[in-house]
Amino acid sequence: MPVERTTGGSSLIDVLDRVLDKGIVIDAWVRVSLVGIDLITVEARVVVASIDTYLKYSEAVGSVGSVSKPAALSTGDGRASESVLAENANLRAQLAATGRARRRRPAAAKTP
Amino acid sequence: MSRTIKRTGRSKTPPAEAKRSRPATAAVERVIREETPGSHLPAGATRMPGPPPASPDKRGKYVYCIVRADEALRFGPIGFGTPPGEVYTVLYEDIAAVVSDAPIEVLDATRENVLAHERVNETVMRYQTVIPMSFGTVFKTRDDIVELLRGAHSAFQDVLAKMENKVEFGLKVLWDRDAMIRQIEHDDEDIRRLKSEIATQKGSTYFARVQYGRLVDGALQSRSEQYVSEIFEALRDVCVASRANKPIGDKMIMNAAFLVERDRENAFDARVKALGGKYDSLTFRYTGPWPPYNFVNIRLKLERAK
Repeated sequence: MPVERTTGGSSLIDVLDRVLDKGIVIDAWVRVSLVGIDLITVEARVVVASIDTYLKYSEAVGSVGSVSKPAALSTGDGRASESVLAENANLRAQLAATGRARRRRPAAAKTP
Repeated sequence: MSRTIKRTGRSKTPPAEAKRSRPATAAVERVIREETPGSHLPAGATRMPGPPPASPDKRGKYVYCIVRADEALRFGPIGFGTPPGEVYTVLYEDIAAVVSDAPIEVLDATRENVLAHERVNETVMRYQTVIPMSFGTVFKTRDDIVELLRGAHSAFQDVLAKMENKVEFGLKVLWDRDAMIRQIEHDDEDIRRLKSEIATQKGSTYFARVQYGRLVDGALQSRSEQYVSEIFEALRDVCVASRANKPIGDKMIMNAAFLVERDRENAFDARVKALGGKYDSLTFRYTGPWPPYNFVNIRLKLERAK
């Protein structure tokens, strides 16, 4: 079957699929707050929160998620993302604690 | 099998073009890009050194993408608005933001606005490597953009180097699910037997139907995986990287993006077309070149300056 090739901009769906949350992304709440504030005078600045490039060859479908961020983070404001980050740190601490506990246990088990 | 080759300049009538080239049935036609350089660029598109246009202070700056630049550039009147805004650069050291003046307000993701965003990106990438900005970022002043470029300079540098001379292609593969089920019934003896049992049995066919459904689903799944892995494998050596996004709807079995070296574009193109010839029952929707949206994710946040 012959293959149809269209240049990028001719399909709105394909455009939307890319431009809304891929490339360089400023969180929605920042985007809104940027409007009308003078960054220089409020002493705020835009900084890089994270940077990823995907230069691997993937084959398995679904093994790589879409680049869009988790729903909890994209719902809007920074507080949501902060709470997720806090939860994240919390879970990591718990994980580290269980890891330590588990390392101790086998050692104890050796002397019945 | 008849093949239609159609040349199309995308700047002409994209919506009509899109409709014509996307038939509802599995039959597809090949649309290839006009090869004469610049012929599909929007009217007025250009790239030349030049100072930013004089603009009233009250206007914000909409950012389309980040590029490498040694001097201030202008890309012509191809941005938002009526008449289309002049697109130019805000320069910081060796990188620049490609911008046009815009009202200081949240820009709606209307068809016109989104297509204008993409149009500018496509125009600029004809000349150089871009890191695309996602839709809808307006800065209040030129100085704010310079601050952004300064703050994110090393990140932008790094990504620009990684994306140098690379473009993205999109490939969606669809199948006719019903035809595939008929094929599976034809090929698989167990499924065929179950189906005839269901058709002829007098009592309850509940368990036979459940079993039939399970077998068909499994067979569909494994066929789809088989196709997808063959297609990925066939394209592996003509691209730099690939990403598998989630397929949309039950007709789509593959929704992928490929990062391709510019000078391998023809090889990639030929390979995709060869795949189209090989898999008669699949429909390939092939788009590009795009800026590398699927291969770059830079998240920016607002921080209090120290």
